[in-house]
Amino acid sequence: MIGILFAKARQFIRNPWTFLIFTGMSIGFALIMGITGGSNAIRVPVTIVDEHLRDTTIMSELKASTSFDLQEMKKEEMLKHLKNGKAEVGVILKEENYQVIVGVDSVRVRMVENMVRQAYIHYYQQQNIVDAANMVSNKQKDLLLYDMEESMNDPVFTVDSKGFTSSDAVVYNPTFQVLFGFSLFFVIYTIAYNVLPILTEKNEGLWDRIILSPVKKWEMYVANMLYSFFEGYLQVLVIFLLFRYGFGVNFNGRFYDTLLLIIPYVFAVIALALLITALVKNVQQFNAILPIIAVSMAMIGGAYWPIEIVESNALIALSKINPLTYGMEILNGAVVYNYSIQHLLYPISILILMGVVMIGIGIHLMERRHI
Amino acid sequence: MLELVDLTKRFKQQYAVKNLNMFIEKGEIIGLLGPNGAGKSTAISMMSSLVEPTAGDVRFNNNSILKKPAQLRKVTGIVPQEIALYNDLTAEENLQFFGRIYRLKGAELKRRMDEVLDLIGLKDRRKDIVKKYSGGMKRRLNIGVALLHDPELIIMDEPTVGIDPQSRNYILETVKRLNAERNITVLYTSHYMEEVEFLCDRIYIMDKGNLIASGTKDDIKRILSAEKTISIKADRLNEAFIKEIKEHPLVNNIQVEEKEITIMVAKEVNIFSTLIKMAEDASLELSSVAIKTPTLEDVFLHLTGRALRD
Repeated sequence: MIGILFAKARQFIRNPWTFLIFTGMSIGFALIMGITGGSNAIRVPVTIVDEHLRDTTIMSELKASTSFDLQEMKKEEMLKHLKNGKAEVGVILKEENYQVIVGVDSVRVRMVENMVRQAYIHYYQQQNIVDAANMVSNKQKDLLLYDMEESMNDPVFTVDSKGFTSSDAVVYNPTFQVLFGFSLFFVIYTIAYNVLPILTEKNEGLWDRIILSPVKKWEMYVANMLYSFFEGYLQVLVIFLLFRYGFGVNFNGRFYDTLLLIIPYVFAVIALALLITALVKNVQQFNAILPIIAVSMAMIGGAYWPIEIVESNALIALSKINPLTYGMEILNGAVVYNYSIQHLLYPISILILMGVVMIGIGIHLMERRHI
Repeated sequence: MLELVDLTKRFKQQYAVKNLNMFIEKGEIIGLLGPNGAGKSTAISMMSSLVEPTAGDVRFNNNSILKKPAQLRKVTGIVPQEIALYNDLTAEENLQFFGRIYRLKGAELKRRMDEVLDLIGLKDRRKDIVKKYSGGMKRRLNIGVALLHDPELIIMDEPTVGIDPQSRNYILETVKRLNAERNITVLYTSHYMEEVEFLCDRIYIMDKGNLIASGTKDDIKRILSAEKTISIKADRLNEAFIKEIKEHPLVNNIQVEEKEITIMVAKEVNIFSTLIKMAEDASLELSSVAIKTPTLEDVFLHLTGRALRD
């Protein structure tokens, strides 16, 4: 078995391109779609008609929003953005009112309108209080507003609310989504192309040659699977290490847990690759089937987008037999939702069960020809 | 040493090998001859314990290997038809790998590797990656791997397919030398009858899964003792002439090539004058008509009505 591992390691050193390409693609996609597009805030074009507004609390309140990123521009430009679909909604701010221009009617339009209305209400409430207090000098007015703000900051009771799209929300984080998604997706290819040599070696007579040696057949399978595990795990390890220490992505304090929790997923993917290898007759068939399976797994398993947005019952049912679904569930559970290991035992157990079943079927199918 | 008893392999309704009986004595070079698809590879897969037979038995030193193949595997070297090597490794690394899986280590492994590299003539190219080798060099290394653990029996499945004549001669000479110097038993399968004629003491001929002849070269050629082979050559053969020969009642078998027709007739028949008349009638100018010494190819033609390489 050691001999087989040695030979595999030498081949890897001499020809590491598959590993490097898929590792590079995982990092590239995660970087492009995760880090650079990491802000959750929705961009809203804004046109300010009255310059006087810039000094009011309306603007400071709107700018303070973490859910929306206001981008100031001329009216014509804003209309162009809406027409081209670059923004769903735009706002024209005037001194006494505002205008919401809708490009695409969605829930965000109401959220934007609500936010702008609240800013105007707060501003005019303040103005009414100041007017009612009959303050003569500006200094007195400022003092009154300051006192009011102070008392607002120390309320009798507080209501804490979070928005689904704000940065302090934990529901959807694109950095983790794309990092985990693309890592789990591309590692399927790396592992599969490490299991594939079982098929090519069988076709080329190498496998038979090894069978005739004192090496046991189980040693041959274990050596191949161990090596595939090593390379698959190494890929995820390199990606996660790079993001943790190179790009400073905080795994919410669960970095070492993720390195441990990824093991059942890698095991299940090895088993899946073994099953595919057993089902196909040649490399051409393998090359045709693998992308179909891997991409389908990524689409319904939550690698490309959060699984929550999948609505079809059939696809949801299919996702239940998809190792990637559970891989994402484990990583998101640990890092995003901060679940304990006990909470994650269910998806871990399913991945291990899937792995054992698929290895059993795969080896049985492969062995039909041999003694 | 090795005996096949009514060995049969059936894939669904198709017989790949049917009731094959064979024996190999120690120190012999045995040829297994047959066209592509004759069942040679299936037969050697069964006798080397790689494929389970549908029926029959394989006996090594009088013990069945079907349930306990370890004894046979230990002393057998297999040279598969395919180049069964790691292409990204060097010759030395390939030998090291196969040596290790045969539990060879340290100085013993190094000694065996040197010996084998010397024997197959790749000592100077030992550090080269296999995928940079020529076809002939790969074939030689393919044989070298099978020799590494010093086997008593080597099973070679068409080891010279697709290589140049020089490399082929080298391989054939190497096989002869192995047998003569080390008394290694060789089972050599091929569809090149000249290789089998050159190498083998005894020959088995297979066709469509059946054993159709066996014995020494002379035994087999004696099958043709009642017949003679006549070669007819012309610059341009025509259809009328070929048709007339095919339909002639005294012609038993016919094989047509571009400029040559080979026919078999009963030994006592004198057909020369008839052939010349047929050529005249078909307006054909013959360049030669001659009686040939029978070859294994002729025997195969006689037995099956087809050429070995059809």
